[in-house]
Amino acid sequence: MNKFLAFLENRFMPFAAKLAAQKHLSALKDGIILTMPLIIIGSVFLIFGYLPIPGYADFMARVFGEHWLTKLSYPVDATFNMMGLIAAFGIAYRLAEKYGIDAITSGAISLAAFLLATPFTVPFTPEGASAAVDVAGAIPVALMGSKGLFVAMVISMLSTEIYRWIVQRDIVIKMPDGVPPAVSKSFVALIPGFVVILVVWLIRLLIEYLHAKGFFEAASIHDIIGTVLGGPLGVLGSSLIGSIIAYMLIMMLWSAGLHGTNIVGGVMNPIWLSNTDENRIAFQAGKELPNIFTSQFFEIFINIGGTGATFGLVILMLFWAKSKQMKELGKLSAGPGTFMINEPVIFGTPIVMNPLLVIPFFLTPIVLIVTTYLAMSTGLVARPAGIAIPWTTPPLIGGYLATGGHLSGAIMQLVNIVIAFFLYLPFFKLWDKMKKKEEESAGQEQQ
Amino acid sequence: MNILLCCAAGMSTSLLVTKMEKAAAEIGFECKIWAESADAVKNHIDSADVLLLGPQVRYLLGNMKKLGGEKGIPVDSINPVHYGTCNGAEVLKFARKLVEG
Repeated sequence: MNKFLAFLENRFMPFAAKLAAQKHLSALKDGIILTMPLIIIGSVFLIFGYLPIPGYADFMARVFGEHWLTKLSYPVDATFNMMGLIAAFGIAYRLAEKYGIDAITSGAISLAAFLLATPFTVPFTPEGASAAVDVAGAIPVALMGSKGLFVAMVISMLSTEIYRWIVQRDIVIKMPDGVPPAVSKSFVALIPGFVVILVVWLIRLLIEYLHAKGFFEAASIHDIIGTVLGGPLGVLGSSLIGSIIAYMLIMMLWSAGLHGTNIVGGVMNPIWLSNTDENRIAFQAGKELPNIFTSQFFEIFINIGGTGATFGLVILMLFWAKSKQMKELGKLSAGPGTFMINEPVIFGTPIVMNPLLVIPFFLTPIVLIVTTYLAMSTGLVARPAGIAIPWTTPPLIGGYLATGGHLSGAIMQLVNIVIAFFLYLPFFKLWDKMKKKEEESAGQEQQ
Repeated sequence: MNILLCCAAGMSTSLLVTKMEKAAAEIGFECKIWAESADAVKNHIDSADVLLLGPQVRYLLGNMKKLGGEKGIPVDSINPVHYGTCNGAEVLKFARKLVEG
């Protein structure tokens, strides 16, 4: 076992270091983080739009008029529905920053390139007509949100790579001495920016040409990336097996004391985030929620008390610990654990590199993924409604809010805490006994 | 002395900050201690005399050491047990040893 843990440490450290140093992956992670505060703000309005209190909707309609829900949804549209647009800027900005080139200019160029990849038409079905017609002159809101997230990822990287390639080769318009630096800086972006726009424009023209000739079913860059990238990634992130594999990797990294959620998150977060948003759109439309594996599924229902669902372990320490060390640690970890932070437990117990406690730590999240999935897919428990509450929201409150106000969400969290409690119980007892013995023999030596 | 701590989101390390401040106050040691996320370190490293990483982000140690080398400040990761038990006194001692030698 110790050999295995040493193996984890030796193998995972370089892997994690490499992944963290990988500029595109970390730009992706940091860029998408830019959308998170906005999405959480949008969620506040979402919660107030759909409070599950009997008579609430009627009351709101009486007080604020019959269009109250539409008006309450304005901020939701400007936050959730702009996720892709904001990511197009954020990812390019962060990537440029890592390359040490002008970040805000790269962000702006990427934003323009993203919009260039988007046809400015919106389907509209006039009254009495059977088919929708395309109305020109409007930016389609649907493609600015999670539907455009993968396009934003591809375009922002493509545009920043082109930008960097040209700037680093010094192919820029040079201004004579005496021109203010700010002025000449604005010209530096001209050539690379022009090339970026040219490339995306030509790609779009080519796709439209091939579509018109009947070679391609896809009519836009959005269509192509949606099928090529969104499809397979969606399967990976939306399936039970895919989620279990992702979590096995996360837990292995954490077992070696490395921040697995942060390391694997770069790859999985965009997928889980777009699942969140798909659910949000269905939730607002009053339709059945399509996804179970959203960001909140993991943050709220699996990582209760922090990664590894250590809330159950903290309760054990607080009320059932015999050794002084575990009692003290229980007191120290109760506060952070309530807000889903568990570094004191992970490093203080320690769970990290501890052959005994690593077993329940690794197993519990996998078990919880399966039980929560079963409860949600059978309809026993409400699915996460696409409401993004902060991951630090305390248990029970989190489950209630994330499901759009269903008690079953809070009950699911309670059940998961109980499951985690019993999975940790035998291993904790053994560990606690060892610590107690250690303390006793240390006490005797002193006497 | 300015001590900068860093972890993934700067949250769990902020817990350690309060313990370290308390330990510093007890021995009357003048210092400023604060926690940042790994991404934000580059914006704060200029005002730091030492950078300490939470053990869960020690995979960043290579990169951070390079960054610290450019600024001429010591960088190291915190002992996991001291980190987990929020042992402010020990971590403070460690930070001082890195700076003062």
